[in-house]
Amino acid sequence: MKFSYNWIREMVDGLAVEARDLERLITIRTAESEGVEEYGAKGACRARVLAVEPIPESHNVKAIVETEQYGTKTVVCGAPNCRAGIETIYVPLGKKKIAGVESDGMLASAEEAGINRDHSAIVEMAVEQVFTPTDSIIEIDNKSLTHRPDLWGHYGMAREVAAITGGTLTDPVDVSLLPAGDAVIRVASDDPELCPRFSALVFENITVAPSPLWLQFRLSAIGLNPINNIVDMTNYIMSELAQPMHAYDRALLNGDTLTARPARDGERVTALNHEEYALTPANLVIADARGPVGIAGVIGGLDSAISERTTSIVLEAANFNAASVRKTSSALKIRTDASMRFEKAQDPENTTRALARAIALMREVCPGARLAGGVADWKREMPAPPKVRLKLDWLARKLGRPVPAEEVRAILVRLGFGVSDDFEVTVPSWRATKDVSVADDLVEEVGRMIGYDSIEPKPPAVLSTVPPDFPERTYYRRARGMLASQGFTEVHNYSFLSEEQAAQMGFDPAALVHVLNPIAANQSVMRPSLIPGIYANLVENRKHLDSFRLFEIGREIHRRDQGLPEEVPHLAAALYGEESGLLELKRVAEALAAEVRVRPAEARGFEHPRRTAEVLAGGAVVGRLFELHPSFIEGRAAILDLDLRLLQPHERRASKYVPLRRYPSSGFDLTVLAPTRELVGELQDKMAALAGPLLERIEYVGQYQKSDSKSVTFRFTVGAADRTLSSDEVGAVRLGIIEGMRRLGYELTV
Amino acid sequence: MIEGSLAELQANALARIEAARNPEELEAVRVEVLGRKGSLAAVSKDMGKIPAEERARIGKLLNSAKQTLETALAARQEEFAGQALGARLESEWLDLTLPAPGIRPGSLHPVTQIQEEIEDLFRSLGFTVLDGREVEDEYHNFDALNIPADHPARDMQDTFWLDGGNLLRTHTSPVQVRGMETLPLPLRMIAPGRVFRNESVDASHEHTFYQLEGMMIDRDISVANLIYFMKTLLTAVFRREVTVRLRPGFFPFVEPGFELDIQCLICGGPGCPVCKQSGWVELLPCGLINPRVLRMSGIDPDKWNGFAFGLGLTRLVMMRYAIDDIRHLMGGDLRFLRQF
Repeated sequence: MKFSYNWIREMVDGLAVEARDLERLITIRTAESEGVEEYGAKGACRARVLAVEPIPESHNVKAIVETEQYGTKTVVCGAPNCRAGIETIYVPLGKKKIAGVESDGMLASAEEAGINRDHSAIVEMAVEQVFTPTDSIIEIDNKSLTHRPDLWGHYGMAREVAAITGGTLTDPVDVSLLPAGDAVIRVASDDPELCPRFSALVFENITVAPSPLWLQFRLSAIGLNPINNIVDMTNYIMSELAQPMHAYDRALLNGDTLTARPARDGERVTALNHEEYALTPANLVIADARGPVGIAGVIGGLDSAISERTTSIVLEAANFNAASVRKTSSALKIRTDASMRFEKAQDPENTTRALARAIALMREVCPGARLAGGVADWKREMPAPPKVRLKLDWLARKLGRPVPAEEVRAILVRLGFGVSDDFEVTVPSWRATKDVSVADDLVEEVGRMIGYDSIEPKPPAVLSTVPPDFPERTYYRRARGMLASQGFTEVHNYSFLSEEQAAQMGFDPAALVHVLNPIAANQSVMRPSLIPGIYANLVENRKHLDSFRLFEIGREIHRRDQGLPEEVPHLAAALYGEESGLLELKRVAEALAAEVRVRPAEARGFEHPRRTAEVLAGGAVVGRLFELHPSFIEGRAAILDLDLRLLQPHERRASKYVPLRRYPSSGFDLTVLAPTRELVGELQDKMAALAGPLLERIEYVGQYQKSDSKSVTFRFTVGAADRTLSSDEVGAVRLGIIEGMRRLGYELTV
Repeated sequence: MIEGSLAELQANALARIEAARNPEELEAVRVEVLGRKGSLAAVSKDMGKIPAEERARIGKLLNSAKQTLETALAARQEEFAGQALGARLESEWLDLTLPAPGIRPGSLHPVTQIQEEIEDLFRSLGFTVLDGREVEDEYHNFDALNIPADHPARDMQDTFWLDGGNLLRTHTSPVQVRGMETLPLPLRMIAPGRVFRNESVDASHEHTFYQLEGMMIDRDISVANLIYFMKTLLTAVFRREVTVRLRPGFFPFVEPGFELDIQCLICGGPGCPVCKQSGWVELLPCGLINPRVLRMSGIDPDKWNGFAFGLGLTRLVMMRYAIDDIRHLMGGDLRFLRQF
């Protein structure tokens, strides 16, 4: 929303703060400013043409002008209307020879002055409507105004400015102008919730013409296009009072009644933007005897629009329900200056104020116009202004600083609140629709006006407590640290996948959680696995790196029949290089939990059929360890995928200390012959079982591949807690293993 | 006579010890002179032939010669050992500019790093760290935060909607709601995590980013307390004293609501391109928790109140490392991620 500094200044007597400083004050006290920009031609000022002399052999003339700011100047001007006696706009440009004559500055066309698009002539101001052709425009971030319907007009901002600077606010509205007596038209609302108030006024003897230049300049300065006097007047009032209005050509309306009602199924309307809209009962319309003539609060209809032939108008100033306008505006994809304002919940008290303002403005923009009849005004019963009790000690506790009673009172009164002796605060209608309803809302009013910088930071007087902790979080954190120390770099991947990515990894897209409004077609499902993301990381990074390690900790999202989907925290780590990183990843898994085992498993389509295993912890499957199928990637990509929810309970943790052995242990090696694909892990389990209770540990030493078998060597360490084993005892253990293995059909090299 | 040959033997042996060129030669001398069958042993064998009155004197001389030779021998041995050690050390020259073998440590994602830092800070201030869901329902993401059905934040263009009527959380605030529903009062909590907004991705916009929100609920929490905590937080995050200012900001979750700005760390106030010449950088939204929000979570606003704030972790990372393209953060490119 753009605010004109000059416009605000007209309503705040004694405003001595410059635009740039005012912008800062507004940011600190009211709403976020996005900056100040100067509007109009640089340095422009009013000027009167004193005399004009022709220049020989040129269509230009030499004009002597008396400027408001720079004294008398001589300029060369080519405009056809440049003549003595007119009030125009002078722009200092520096001296320059034109047609052999020195010209000091120029006289501006309406386009050059920022009034409208006309560049056919220089500006001619009406003598009684001269204006300053420059302004400072303060742009306020719309998002910071969502809760303030009143700040969608200059008057609301002027009230803030007056409150901030201590200036006196002047109301541009004179409600005594409203005519008494019966209206010549009827207005009604079929739904008092969606249209709580509908006011209208009829003007006759209208001449549609361009607006006065001052008004065009003002609208252009805040980013609105001047159209004609009637439309410009409604836009001007909307920008001043935040009350959107609409003017109908009365001759083009059917019947004498305008009704706000839900559209009927199948009704259509062609709007001012020349688009045709199909309506539903969810859309509120304004209808005449034949059908919709506008979409309520959003846009008017083309059929009854103001044109050069218009001689009589119905001026509507109504109030509509914010949610209803927002829904219609987003369903029909039309956002207008009107809908933006109604969405913020406008003040129903404002409609007739806008009509009173129109009466005053009409005298300037369309001097021949005549009022026909009184005000047509339909309204539901308006709730009494809300009252809020404000306790000053409570206020001081909330702010963390006391504020003197008289200061609180002055602040609230300047903002338009009523304050009784015992601080019962009456909320003004323009703040009551949505913004202020409880005492906490008043904390903000007082806080922002005293300035938050006047509050000293203070530590709270609360108990020191040790915060409860959640073991999963600390576990993830340890896991991250461990992986990083093992050379893995953490990545973050999107939670979205394409259906193809999911299908490639064997997921049925129909079984996944879908995004209804994806940002792109390739991000339409929620990831049921981290692997597709990791796979993409592998493909991308191998373009730059020969070998690398990476990991991600993130959520898998799985569909459930009802309610919220299941979110499962997973760890996926990958190791890429020429050599297989599977065993390295196995070590990572072992470091993450106690008693991790792996067990060969049937491979899925993207897994290497002979290099795939399940990972188990405490006997239950907690994840997978595999190499990507060579058809998926060149080089070797080993991947570990662990369900952290299942793994975390098996986190390595010492529970009770085991006393150190006091007696020396003994050791011996055994080498067993086994078929090539016999699993070393299983051999080790078998031999360990045969070793009996004296076995302290068994370690794999190495293996030698032969043509159709292999020999595998293990080292056994045996001992007892209460004595040194005799060589006979050690020998018996060794023999037990050898004989046991032989019974199982293995040969041992002894 | 014997005296003379002893002296000659000693002189001769000393000369040979001195002349030995290596430990082997030295050992040969030792065996020849001091060995069991060596020349000194031969002399002592002849002691019996010496008159008894002479024997003690000659014995003394013999011992002295033996000691002298042993000392010389030991010194020479030590000399050789020293030389040998020196030679070994010299031969063991190693080029320490060679690259170290083994795995280089990887890095944690910069967002993780800053998140852990802030978690630690808040834990030290007595805050619990909570994890929340990424997929939420409308109630927890919107209604319970006082964002009613007609609030623009619910528009299709901001929120990712999922089938089943669910949505991807647009902020981590739902975790606060779940915290208020489950944790005992008084409470202090933060909720870091991944959030989603439906917007197109470019150098400064991401649909997936990280936030950290927090709240404190106790008996008497004021704006002054809020400013204190935020100043403490930011001083720790930026590792220097920061100047903050509060200005009005509208967030349905809080009342009053603030935008907290910090004085520009680049220019220190006079204005520069980073702060768009204003001297201030908008950093975090915060405020006192709206009593309506407390009531919705079953907390009596007449007894309890508190503050809440939100911090964009992604934004903080970009500020700290001067990252000019937000897409790097979710890009998975190790050339970028290994820098942290």
